Amino acid sequence: MSTSIVQVMDLRRRYRDVQALDGVSLSLERDKIYGLLGRNGAGKTTLMSILTAQGFASSGSVSVFGEHPYENEKVLSRICFIRESQKYPDDFKPVHAFKAAALFYKNWDNALALQLAKEFQLPMKRRIKKLSRGQLSAVGVIIGLASRAELTFFDEPYLGLDAVARQLFYDRLLADYTEFPRTIVLSSHLIDEVANLLEHVIIIDKGRIILDDDAENIRGSAINIAGTSARVESFAAGRSVLHRESIGALLSLTLEGSLTAAERREAQELGLELGPVSLQQLVIRKTLDAEAALDGPSPDPVEANPKITRTGASR
Amino acid sequence: MNRALGVAKMQLINKWTFLGIPAVIITGSFLLSMVIWALIPDSVGVKYSGAGQAVMWYFFGLGIQSLTLSFPFSQGLSISRRNFFLGTVGLFTVLAAGIAALYVVLGLIESATNGWNLQGRMFAISWVADQPWFIQWFFYFVMMMFLFLLGFWFATVYKRWQATGTLVMSLSLAVLLVGAIALITLQGWWPAVGAWAITLTPASIGVLALALVLMLGVGAYLTLRRATP
Repeated sequence: MSTSIVQVMDLRRRYRDVQALDGVSLSLERDKIYGLLGRNGAGKTTLMSILTAQGFASSGSVSVFGEHPYENEKVLSRICFIRESQKYPDDFKPVHAFKAAALFYKNWDNALALQLAKEFQLPMKRRIKKLSRGQLSAVGVIIGLASRAELTFFDEPYLGLDAVARQLFYDRLLADYTEFPRTIVLSSHLIDEVANLLEHVIIIDKGRIILDDDAENIRGSAINIAGTSARVESFAAGRSVLHRESIGALLSLTLEGSLTAAERREAQELGLELGPVSLQQLVIRKTLDAEAALDGPSPDPVEANPKITRTGASR
Repeated sequence: MNRALGVAKMQLINKWTFLGIPAVIITGSFLLSMVIWALIPDSVGVKYSGAGQAVMWYFFGLGIQSLTLSFPFSQGLSISRRNFFLGTVGLFTVLAAGIAALYVVLGLIESATNGWNLQGRMFAISWVADQPWFIQWFFYFVMMMFLFLLGFWFATVYKRWQATGTLVMSLSLAVLLVGAIALITLQGWWPAVGAWAITLTPASIGVLALALVLMLGVGAYLTLRRATP
């Protein structure tokens, strides 16, 4: 049975003229990998800050491991959140930062930290403030992984990391998670890269949760279909189209919902190509829809289509 | 493990900040003072050096630094604000107690050796050195705590309200000070103030400063309670 370790009710946070969080309610379960996805400035970091008592809510309730985390060592000692713009003491080198983390996390695995540092080619004896952006991210990633905290947040952990290092991070995260299950929240806007890791996806936009569902359900919630325009159009008639992209006589549509076995056969007989929809495409669609809804009454679908095509083509 | 103690250990991971640099400042300022004393002809009598203060001013900066950089890091490691405060201020209290004791001992040696045989005066400041050793120690200790907490509190105010907060606070302090001077001048109280100042001893100044230290400490803690990294 899964148990909820984080519960948030109607959380709001206002900074002067920005409503960073606007009525967020969610719960996180034990031993799951969550993706907290959204655009820059959507409220991801604000939400994580409040959950870890680094920041303060304007209103709403937060409960982590059954209690409020603020000034609560019993709760805080089980949490790790190295922010994307984490500051370190001026004279600290990575080796110092790891020693400090070892003082506070009872499950700290120093061997893992050293091995990761080697793999990320992190210069352990260079001052942190002299490190490159990627190396700085690596310091945060290593603390997050080696701390083995029951609730670990990674805040855009890949910033500045090269492709090899990013893959390394995803691999190590998954391997360590398999061995030592815990709740991991990965905040990201590079969605396709982390899509395979995620068990549950939360999409936040303009301070509101616009999607909160299992990754499996989300992947099954839409399908891609491609072929010659006329055939695709006739097949798709009466279905809700999430996305439309055409090149010459070819048309590719993203349809909401899933197909029955009969429909799949029909599509194949028509010579249409069926494919899964990437999480990233869905997130973009959902976000744009939510924003359109926020911006006022949505224009009729035909009007909206050219805009959709443009978004698709620019990818 | 006690996490406040952990914070003290964390501040000491890089030994330079809290131990190395103060040691270098004390040793360096002392050696430089010795050179200067040796250059001055002995006919001038007692040769004073104000270099003993140098390390105290470093503590002002240390107060600022231990907050601005260590606090956000401690938040990343999910350390409560209370334990960060206790660990950092606690560590500094121990350090200030140690350096104050060192000053007393060096002052005694200075007096006993006729100012290191150079007629120098750096640690045994005459007004303080006349006092029993524990008053001397108390005086130095409170002065160091005062400067450290002043820096610490300023940095906390900056962390919480940025430049506006620091500006408002500095201006308010300045207005209070000027107001007090104006009041004393207009009321013709200066002779009374002068008479009071003469009666001050290291012990009474120490007690006054201790009251300020406690106020600064409480103020810094309350400000830190709602500060964000």
